[in-house]
Amino acid sequence: MTEMTATGVAGRPSGRAGAVMNTSQEVIRRARSGDEEAFRLIFERYSRPIISFIYDMVGRRELAEDLTQETFVRAHRNLGGLRDETKLSTWLFGIAKNVTRESLRSRVREDLKVAIDDDRVRGLSDGGLPPDRELLNRELNGVIRDALQNLDDDKRAVFTLKIFQQRSYEEIAEITGSSIPKLKTDLHRARAEMRRRIEPYLRVNHEV
Amino acid sequence: MKCESWMPLIEQRADGELDERAAWQVDQHLAACRSCAAFLERLRAEQAVYARYERDVEVTPAIWAAVEAKIREEPAQGAVSALARLRQWLSATVGAPRLSPAMAAVLVIIAVGVTLGVISLKNSGPAVPPNGVASNGSESNTPATPPSGPPGVKPPSSNPLDDVTAASKGSGTAGPRGRAGSRASRNPTPAQLVREAEQKYLTAIAILSRDVRHRRSNMDPIVLARFDSALGDIDRVIAETRRAVRQNPGDPIALHYLLAAYSKKVDALREMATD
Repeated sequence: MTEMTATGVAGRPSGRAGAVMNTSQEVIRRARSGDEEAFRLIFERYSRPIISFIYDMVGRRELAEDLTQETFVRAHRNLGGLRDETKLSTWLFGIAKNVTRESLRSRVREDLKVAIDDDRVRGLSDGGLPPDRELLNRELNGVIRDALQNLDDDKRAVFTLKIFQQRSYEEIAEITGSSIPKLKTDLHRARAEMRRRIEPYLRVNHEV
Repeated sequence: MKCESWMPLIEQRADGELDERAAWQVDQHLAACRSCAAFLERLRAEQAVYARYERDVEVTPAIWAAVEAKIREEPAQGAVSALARLRQWLSATVGAPRLSPAMAAVLVIIAVGVTLGVISLKNSGPAVPPNGVASNGSESNTPATPPSGPPGVKPPSSNPLDDVTAASKGSGTAGPRGRAGSRASRNPTPAQLVREAEQKYLTAIAILSRDVRHRRSNMDPIVLARFDSALGDIDRVIAETRRAVRQNPGDPIALHYLLAAYSKKVDALREMATD
């Protein structure tokens, strides 16, 4: 994923990479010096990927909203500590990961274990009539969300950052604090677990 | 190699994370193995499904409103220095500092001892030999430092402490030395002590920095960011005090601040290395 661009922060296109970099660094500098408008631009640029990541981690909308707030409040508080301005988004994801981890720790883990609706999956794999695409997508969204919640925290974070946020292994290692070999293993296992959950839908999707 | 063993590599290939050579090997295998080629196709199909995943959540104006309200409640960013924030955090999270790597601790103790020695020696007055003339030609305003230095003092070099040391070492290349110079060869001068202290601090810093580097990946990013920020501040202070020492080699206050800055850096690194 690219870092903040001139288009993203200023709402207008910019032709040169240098200008893009300067613009984003300037925004960060302004935000650091207490410019609330600059921090709002950062929020606008990154709040969507951050809330998506948090939602994938916790699986609950209200909680994801609260944790997104907390992430940006902490980011604002610690903006002075951001040394490499080109890594703003990696830094933000790192904060989001920590905020999420703290929240998950404080909850009863069993609450998160959402049983996959076996009948729903079985109905699809038994060769029943393919439901219409909208309904199917809605169901598939639910299946993916529930399947994510059945991954353990480390695998869920790695899977989400790679598959949904398109982060490089190096960035994921920075965000999660895992070594590259560990995250490769976690990602491979997470993919296999997710595959088992969505496989019937995968076939139906091809047929529809 | 069995197809199962190829799977992680095929995934890494699809993720664009393999180097050229490894990617070429995977491509060769994919061209020859129908099972693995099918696996890659399935992987792509999965990715297409995940790309359509829609979440039951979105960024609403209420979220920014809540963030805005909270950050307005917080004190201004500049109100507390980065170092003060780090110290606050350290005292909150590290009840009692534990021993850092033994070598570093010994070096720090020595350096602190040397620092105290330097200060007391400087304050005692008569034995202080370095010149008191600043590089701009004006006299140092430090009462403990005599207004003129010994003969044969070399002009300031790139290392400020080299100047201080060279001025009192009494080396043959520096020209004829007076009594202060011959005394310096028997007893360490303040400049030599400062130099020794600096070396010990630098060694301790190198050891602790290495330990911190090893631990970085396991540290909380927020803590790490605060730490890096505080360290940046300390490095700036070190750079400034080094500049001051270079301009006023005989100024005991500048020397004191330089060593104090090193000491702060050692403290910060030690806390991070031993948490």
